[in-house]
Amino acid sequence: MEDIKKQVVVLSLIESMKNSGSWCGETHIQKSVYFLQTMLNVPTDFDFILYKHGPFSFELRDSLGEMRGNMLVESTSRFPYGPSYRSTASGKALIERYPKTAAAYQKQMEYITRHFAGLGVAELERLATALYVTEKEGHVSVEERAKKINEIKPHIPIDIAEAAIHEVEKIEHEFRLTA
Amino acid sequence: MAKNFHEIRDPIHIFIRLTTDERHVVDSIPFQRLRNIHQLAMSYLVYPGATHKRFEHSLGVMELASRVFDVVTTQDNIHTKVRELIPEISVEGKLIYWRNVLRMAALCHDLGHLPFSHAAEKLLLPDGWDHERLTVEFINCEEMKKVWDSMTPPLRVDDIVKLAVGPKKLKSVTFTDWEAILAEIITGDAFGVDRIDYLLRDSHHAGVAYGKFDHFRLIDTLRILPKSSEVDESIEPALGIQEGGLHSAEALLLARYFMYTQVYFHPVRRIYDIHLCDFLLGFLKDGKFPTDIYELQKLSDTDVLSEIWKANLDEGHPLNDIANRIVMRAHFRRLYEKNPEDLSHNPHIGKVVFNEAQKAFGSENVRSDSYSQSGDISDFPVLRNNGRITSSYVLSETLQRLPVASFDYVFIRPDLLKDGQAWLEKNLENMLGMVEKEE
Repeated sequence: MEDIKKQVVVLSLIESMKNSGSWCGETHIQKSVYFLQTMLNVPTDFDFILYKHGPFSFELRDSLGEMRGNMLVESTSRFPYGPSYRSTASGKALIERYPKTAAAYQKQMEYITRHFAGLGVAELERLATALYVTEKEGHVSVEERAKKINEIKPHIPIDIAEAAIHEVEKIEHEFRLTA
Repeated sequence: MAKNFHEIRDPIHIFIRLTTDERHVVDSIPFQRLRNIHQLAMSYLVYPGATHKRFEHSLGVMELASRVFDVVTTQDNIHTKVRELIPEISVEGKLIYWRNVLRMAALCHDLGHLPFSHAAEKLLLPDGWDHERLTVEFINCEEMKKVWDSMTPPLRVDDIVKLAVGPKKLKSVTFTDWEAILAEIITGDAFGVDRIDYLLRDSHHAGVAYGKFDHFRLIDTLRILPKSSEVDESIEPALGIQEGGLHSAEALLLARYFMYTQVYFHPVRRIYDIHLCDFLLGFLKDGKFPTDIYELQKLSDTDVLSEIWKANLDEGHPLNDIANRIVMRAHFRRLYEKNPEDLSHNPHIGKVVFNEAQKAFGSENVRSDSYSQSGDISDFPVLRNNGRITSSYVLSETLQRLPVASFDYVFIRPDLLKDGQAWLEKNLENMLGMVEKEE
């Protein structure tokens, strides 16, 4: 996908999140794009590694920086959280100029927004890490995957990790049914 | 009796102290090579004092890395939650090992830099290579391995590599929370000591005050903290600060912004990087630096500068024109720079002006350069006086208003500048309306 279309996808996601009342911090954007790309096949091709709060893309972070530099997005503060992203008038205009890209992934975007818009960082972290481990080690049991999550993120207890794996499976299953 | 500790005088940190093992690294060929690599490429053509090298910067990063380590691992400074999440932090033997690894990683973090540091690294290395990958090669070379193996206890090469290069450039490697924080001490966007040293050092040598800030206070207040103390929020550990250090953290991030705008992205410095890259494309075999470290270490800034000087004096030299632009200051001039007003009409105006100028004046006569600072560097945990942990972004109005350093330049051959300016005045309005649309 061309860089400009990737920006349109990210801007559409931010719009969708904001319209649903989300705080929309960087973690919302990072984890939502990870789900869109990995589970729902939106071809944004960002490279994700296991880092801050689970899967994290430095390329996506750079892209957000570029969008801020070009005044397509801006950040504001909302107590007690960190920066909250929103698209500017220029960002909204860019979405309008790419109607096919915005429309092509609208269904996935709405689905992810419905599940993630109201979540906090801790829940996003658990779900995204559960998907990451499932992608890497999907052949092993839920218990083993939960242990792995706890091993790489010791602040996520095993029972919470198991619940997150089940939740991720449910999110995927529901999407397949509606697809 | 042989000394176990050695001192080196330094204009920024006054004394840098090193062990005999660290001195073996400093005395190695890969490290001595850094004496001939300018920290800021050809910035000395704009700021004549900026002739300092990667060598002293690397020593400074090592010095600062252990200062930070000693503060964040002082037992009284460790947050209860962090003590539970990172058991290593309370085990003395492990702390001694990781302190040694951290200092060595800091010392070696720039070993793979090409001549003239960052200038045009992407164009001058084969696909898949960058200076971080070359750093890994140097850390793994036989000469360095002998040092790691001879230490008590021996240092694991993989640990040094992890901390020196960090997760951004070691995508296939998993970092534990502890390793991620140690890597962040060196390479972190907000509080990485690589950045702290280069801001202070570059500022000192360039003769500008923009990069200076109270790093003593900042380092003294750094802490490893859970991301938040709010119920149901993540407690993943991260590098943060005590509330009393917030102003020094603001000063660091402002220093970074000003150094980017005043020094690192000074338009004349940027165009010299482009001319240098053009020269290297002609000078190097197949237009690329070798990725074999034993071949690479035969090349330094000195060789390139010598060839630029010769090419400038010899009118028959195939690179005479480019060399002349560097030596005689006949560099391309800034034709256009993006600005908030133009961006509000067209977010990709820099690219549009560049493409249109190429059509009007020929691609060989127009060059461009762009950069945007990335990431939420202003969002880190702050341990407040009441014991709660809150995002710095919420507590600091300064950080909320911190601008993003972002540049887009278009340059033109000097003798075409007047025509270019007239062309720009006539066509800018039209170009502002040339927004990209989906077919």
